[in-house]
Amino acid sequence: MVRYLGRRLVGWLVMIFVATNLTYFLASFYLDPRSNYAGRRPPVPEETINATLSAANINDQDPILSRWWHWLEGVVAHWNWGTSPIGDSVNGQIGFRIWVSAELVLGATILVTLLGVALGVYTAARQYSAADRVAQGSSIITLNIPVVVAALVVVILAIKVNQATGSTIFYVVGSQSLDVHGFLPVLLDRLQHLILPTIVLVLTGYASVHFLQRTLLLDSLGTDYVRTARAKGLTRQQAIRRHALRTSLIPTATNVAFSIPALFTGAVLTESIFGWQGMGQYFATTLRTNDINGVVAVAAFGAAMTAIGAMLADIAVVVLDPRVRLG
Amino acid sequence: MSDPLLSVRDLKVSFPSEAGRVDAVRGVSFDLHPGKTLGIVGESGSGKSVTSLAVMGLLSESARVEGSVRLGGRELLGLSDKDMSGIRGKDVAMVFQDPLSSLTPVFPIGRQIVEAIRIHQDVSPKAAADRAIDLLRLVGIPRPETRLKAFPHEFSGGMRQRVMIAMAMANDPKLIIADEPTTALDVTIQAQILEVLKTAQAETGAAVIMITHDLGVVAGSADDVLVMYAGRAVETAPVNEAFYAPRMPYTIGLLEAIPRVDTPRGRPLVPIAGNPPLLIDLPPGCPYVARCPIAIDACREKEPDLLPVASDLGARVVAEVGEVPGQDSDLDHRAACIRAHEIADRRIGGQPVYPVPEVPENRLAAVPREERPTVLEARNLRKEFPLVRGAVLKRKVGTVHAVDGVSFDIRQGETLAIVGESGSGKTTTLLEIMNLSAPEGGDLIVGGVSTASLSKAREQRALRRDLQMVFQDPASAIDPRLTVFDIIAEPMQAIGTPKDEVDARVSELMELVGLDPAQIDRFPAAFSGGQRQRIGIARALSTNPKVVVLDEPVSALDVSIQAGVINLLDELKAKLGLSYLFVAHDLSVVRHLADRVAVMYLGAFVEHGDVDTVFDDPRHPYTQALISAIPLPDPIKERTRERVVLRGDLPSPTDQATGCRFVSRCPLHLTLDSSQQQKCREVVPELTRGSDQADHLHACHFR
Amino acid sequence: MTEVRDPHVVGGIDDPAAVLVDAAPRRRLSKRRLYLRRFLRNRPAVAGAVIFVLLVLFALLGNVIGSYDYLATDFVNIATGPTADHWFGTNQAGNDLYAQTVHGLQRSLAIALIVSVLSTIISALVGASAAYFGGLYERGWLLVIHFLMVVPTFLLLALLSNSSGGDWRVIALILTLTSWFYAARTIWTMSLSLRERDFVTAARFMGVPGIKIVVRHIIPGLSSLLILQFTLGVVGTVMAETGLSFLGFGVKAPDVSLGSLISEGADQVSSSPWLFYFPAATLTLLTVSMALIADGLRDAIDPNSASGGTA
Repeated sequence: MVRYLGRRLVGWLVMIFVATNLTYFLASFYLDPRSNYAGRRPPVPEETINATLSAANINDQDPILSRWWHWLEGVVAHWNWGTSPIGDSVNGQIGFRIWVSAELVLGATILVTLLGVALGVYTAARQYSAADRVAQGSSIITLNIPVVVAALVVVILAIKVNQATGSTIFYVVGSQSLDVHGFLPVLLDRLQHLILPTIVLVLTGYASVHFLQRTLLLDSLGTDYVRTARAKGLTRQQAIRRHALRTSLIPTATNVAFSIPALFTGAVLTESIFGWQGMGQYFATTLRTNDINGVVAVAAFGAAMTAIGAMLADIAVVVLDPRVRLG
Repeated sequence: MSDPLLSVRDLKVSFPSEAGRVDAVRGVSFDLHPGKTLGIVGESGSGKSVTSLAVMGLLSESARVEGSVRLGGRELLGLSDKDMSGIRGKDVAMVFQDPLSSLTPVFPIGRQIVEAIRIHQDVSPKAAADRAIDLLRLVGIPRPETRLKAFPHEFSGGMRQRVMIAMAMANDPKLIIADEPTTALDVTIQAQILEVLKTAQAETGAAVIMITHDLGVVAGSADDVLVMYAGRAVETAPVNEAFYAPRMPYTIGLLEAIPRVDTPRGRPLVPIAGNPPLLIDLPPGCPYVARCPIAIDACREKEPDLLPVASDLGARVVAEVGEVPGQDSDLDHRAACIRAHEIADRRIGGQPVYPVPEVPENRLAAVPREERPTVLEARNLRKEFPLVRGAVLKRKVGTVHAVDGVSFDIRQGETLAIVGESGSGKTTTLLEIMNLSAPEGGDLIVGGVSTASLSKAREQRALRRDLQMVFQDPASAIDPRLTVFDIIAEPMQAIGTPKDEVDARVSELMELVGLDPAQIDRFPAAFSGGQRQRIGIARALSTNPKVVVLDEPVSALDVSIQAGVINLLDELKAKLGLSYLFVAHDLSVVRHLADRVAVMYLGAFVEHGDVDTVFDDPRHPYTQALISAIPLPDPIKERTRERVVLRGDLPSPTDQATGCRFVSRCPLHLTLDSSQQQKCREVVPELTRGSDQADHLHACHFR
Repeated sequence: MTEVRDPHVVGGIDDPAAVLVDAAPRRRLSKRRLYLRRFLRNRPAVAGAVIFVLLVLFALLGNVIGSYDYLATDFVNIATGPTADHWFGTNQAGNDLYAQTVHGLQRSLAIALIVSVLSTIISALVGASAAYFGGLYERGWLLVIHFLMVVPTFLLLALLSNSSGGDWRVIALILTLTSWFYAARTIWTMSLSLRERDFVTAARFMGVPGIKIVVRHIIPGLSSLLILQFTLGVVGTVMAETGLSFLGFGVKAPDVSLGSLISEGADQVSSSPWLFYFPAATLTLLTVSMALIADGLRDAIDPNSASGGTA
């Protein structure tokens, strides 16, 4: 078992390595940091530009292979992912941004999973009832409201609430206030910032878990072993809880694990709209500022998240399914 | 007589469907007394399973159920799910058809049995576990203490069905319903499971409802028989009367249509024409009228009631089988046929109810076998697979010798059948031949051409003209998205037959297999299962092949349809001089269709020879066991004959064992002295000619 | 060995359509008509279809009834709300929002349809052929697919489309390249079971060439899945394009798409809210209506659907 997971891990590491290096070349080819200086008043001297870009190891006048080797050496030997065109450390940026994003994404993931599974179980046990149809309808709508629209509508509503009550209940920008001290006030402040983007992520995300869990549970409700359980003397509800649910949770767990990286990238829009200094916003910023090293680091992060999700999915299956565990 | 345990009155079940209301069960009534066994017989769609699920209260919520089901005087219909759950598993237990999917895959079987006990009994987990061990021992699972912790996927199908029976026995139910409990199993395992069911019945004193399509199973185990057709009981009778003096033409048809393992070949089967009716808006009149050979105008006016008929076996039957002891029966003999009183001894007005069809003479049969050309020859055919374990963690743990040195030849106009349990390697043999791959070590010669000599794809394609195949499941073997024309034309197009030739040939082929050429543009969905199998046969014949490979060609079909397809295959062989390589698990069909038979066990032939010789005088203990495991549709013969029941399951053909492959299950081995046993274990028996017969080989040291 | 089971037994029924037609040569309900009937019974799906058709008509004919070009600027009316003249109002530059919304919808629809058609075709060919041929060919494609899953495609998308200069055709092409492989993986999984079907084996034993088997026997067997993938692909593409344009990596001025309109409207949501409301409403109607259609299709072709008929 450990050997199997170890082999998978090595496979993923190779994939991440190749993907990251590929992104390095693509980014170097498509992004033009020199253009950041175009049209400056007064014009920046050519030598200054070259010096700044070379310092960041992104000067297009240096040979690409030597830049790449320099970058790779830094990453492999010193875990140094380079600097932005103006010299900010990429490591430093990512170091704190990961936690800002994680705060948002992990909380939302847990809520999405709980809400989705609960709704899926509830509606599958009552297929074609009024409650099922209402939940189905609203899930289709929320799942397909574009994130941008959902986020902006939430912002508009929050501002309305704030205006109506005359106080700041919801913060629509940022992840925390600067001038708050003390444990409880900080906690409250964080929650006030967290609540709106979390609502947006949950609102647009729970429905896919709902649909998946509902379908899986309905599939296992029709199986012979659930019929056997009922023939033993379990009521329908007992048979669902004790036999159908357990088997149907296996693919859901896999799916949730796989969706974590998608949630991180999905948070790009949410973070941009709510002004969170997270990975998503960093992604947009680095692209806009032609920050090659930053872009590559974001790509590596995304690839790593995919791999982690896949590994978690593997582990979940191994833990939950005796057919795999005992082979 | 005492009060019945179960009393079903005028049970009606209907389902909603896109096409309208389906009346799956249309008024079924019967009584069942404690300890008795009722066999419910019918083809798919006859309503037999729906009836049992209605008794259990396990039908889907969209079903509408009417009538009355009383268990020990208590009305079950209309009870809430909660009230029914107090009865299910406690008073009524059920064994389902497919043991592979009937146990929850993620829980150990011990936990599932303990659950069954503790739902209804207030006992400690320890006491329940002890009871579970007792139950597993009772149903014949070795080392029950350790097997308790095993998961379902670690058991074979037969073992899982034993677990299901243990679970059904857990609370000493008054009634056990077994719904096709052995249909998904091999004959040798079927014999074991039927024994276990009898043990369970003896142990619990329960009444049993045995639902099956297999008349042999009913003949061996039922006290009374209820024959269902189109959602109704069309005949009910004590078992002997049902088999020896049936009065309803449908029952007679079923009995005439099944091939029997104990009769020599030659007699054509009697097919029942047409298909069962659709149970939506049934027209008035008898539902069997369209298929009945003795239907008269009055049959179309009103559906006949199930009325008592004279209880009489008839003089000929009494003379033949002797005086049958008077039975203490739950059901009197009734038949739903307005002409039932005219029918006696399967005859009406002196004539058989079903006239025996003519089968054309096989011209080639007159030519001695040695003088006919060989059309297919296999020499030392082998196929090995790496054995991998685990669904995700695939690792090689050994080699499966699926086919391990098989040789045979097929002459023109001849049928060779390969029989064996699932896992014996018979299907792999067939696929190896169809793949035309140059075999590992051996040689395969089709129409005189060795596949080892084929180098180009074009040469291979040319060879395929001579070798075509008919598949087991007609629903899967033809593409539902193509028209009949496209399906039948496909092999001809593949070998590059000119277009106008193809057009003419398709109509001709449809006629040949008994389909209406006017339906050439229809899709497969418009045809019944039997008709689809005919399309498959027409497709196989389109290139004028020398050999047709038949993979279980009738096992997916209902009994009444089966006979027609078997007769068609017989007829085509005679007309076209075809040769068949025929793979089957059903020895009755083999006996009927084959000229020669090879019995396969763990990748090798253990007996090989002329079909009547092998069936009448089987030499290898495995062949003997296989033949004796087939249930006969004849209650007295079935209950009085000696039966060899094999212990255990088919072992995995992994390890190249020294000695005889069959040694672990061989009944003969147990009777030998120790030096002989040592020979069995150490020396591989070769396929050798018996001392007296020329055309009969077997692989046993001591026969 | 396989006895055909009774229909209607719990869990024993594969496809009610098949069972119905199987038992009833004389009362056949073709699959297509059955699907249509089920779809039409699903009221939300029908509503979705009606809305979608109206949106398409709006995109195609909206210009005919509107009186402004989407590029024309009306200096008299700058940043005014909806009026009798400018039905959806105007923006800071005096562009007519109605005309811009019509044009943006056209762009978004065109991109979505092109991407969906192309990626459905590519994914069907790749997924089905990989499953059928197996071996190294299959492993090669799976490696490509898994690799593309590791590469953060949204980033790739932004990277490439950023340098495309906002040409919607290039964006469509890039979206295709980054969207086909998820569908291909699903199709591959589904084809694995189709590959084992006897009619595929039969065709192989007849000597039918592999590529012909894929096109003639496997891909048609996936048609309902492909229709569904196509529909969901439209929704996914519209959303991706919106996201890109919102971040400024998509369609660029002077061309407009619904995404870029929303992006523009978002900046002025407090001063000129109509600039956000109209494109956002149009976009939401488009995605939700398409999703309702997809859901109706899924339900109609789902063999386990019990939504129809009365006992």
